[in-house]
Amino acid sequence: MKKFDIELAVGLFMVAGIICLGYLTIKLGKMEVLGDKGYELQAVFANSGGLKSGSPVVIAGVEVGRVKQIALDDYEAKVVMNLPLDVKIQEDAIASIKTKGLIGEKYVEISVGGSERILEPGDLIRETEPAVDLEQLISNYVFGKL
Amino acid sequence: MSIHFLRVSLFLFFTLVMALPSFAGQPMEQIRETTDRIIAIVSDPVLKPPEKAEERKRLIRQVVDERFDWEEMSRRSLARHWKQRTDDEKKEFINLFGKLLERTYLEQVGNYSGEKVLYLNETIDESGFGDVRIKIITKQETEIPVRYKVKKNGDGWYVYDISVEGRSLINNYRKQFQRMPYKKLLKQLKAKVTQE
Repeated sequence: MKKFDIELAVGLFMVAGIICLGYLTIKLGKMEVLGDKGYELQAVFANSGGLKSGSPVVIAGVEVGRVKQIALDDYEAKVVMNLPLDVKIQEDAIASIKTKGLIGEKYVEISVGGSERILEPGDLIRETEPAVDLEQLISNYVFGKL
Repeated sequence: MSIHFLRVSLFLFFTLVMALPSFAGQPMEQIRETTDRIIAIVSDPVLKPPEKAEERKRLIRQVVDERFDWEEMSRRSLARHWKQRTDDEKKEFINLFGKLLERTYLEQVGNYSGEKVLYLNETIDESGFGDVRIKIITKQETEIPVRYKVKKNGDGWYVYDISVEGRSLINNYRKQFQRMPYKKLLKQLKAKVTQE
């Protein structure tokens, strides 16, 4: 009788351990279990600069979504992003690939537009900026700073 | 029966052949035309002397005005500020921003010294947007990729954004504009446009 109790305890402990492990795997691997909430938008970049699926999508410095998939489409990078339903993106928004710090990881930044038209799920963000080094520097040099 | 079929297919063939060139070549042709006219102005020896500078500027401005959609550019770069503006404020901004862009453009074009322009390709989508890719080759053989974003309006295609080396002009200004309140922005813009 006593032996059985110990075995039960060990078993329960093991099950708890496996559940914790599963939870950690999903959390750390940033996997989705119960399907994605939110909607998808696409964008085509001339150069994705090593963006990965799972890379953050950022608006005004706030992480709002993630890159779901990257594929080669007519020698350009077609990026599928997942965004929460309450984050609306205007038709004239611009998606750019940026780098954290000088050599850090890549992420997608969306600068919101002023258009009345809101993108539907599955739509394409038409305006994009590919990954470039020293990006703002070049752009300031070329167009002048205000 | 077969003659009828032949006629119909011939008719279809010709309408397609006739229709294609006018549709396919449009934005790039229009950009090319504008660029050629500007190059003609900046390399015209008659307009080179400094006392002709004003005349030269005026001519370039005229050509640029025909191809650029200042309102669309202003709307896109003001983004969220745009919605809160009254019609008068919008007009004022379009005027100022147009001047600022003209200035930047004139500075770039004014330094023209025989750079070559290669016209690469164009894409058009069914919603009336297109993009034209060109390459500027400098005397030092450096290649600068430039991309014109164009929007269809009537028969013409009008530029609403330019990307140089992948950096978008509109995004550059949009980010700077979003950082400050509209009043401050307007003040800085005015100062920038009036300074010589």
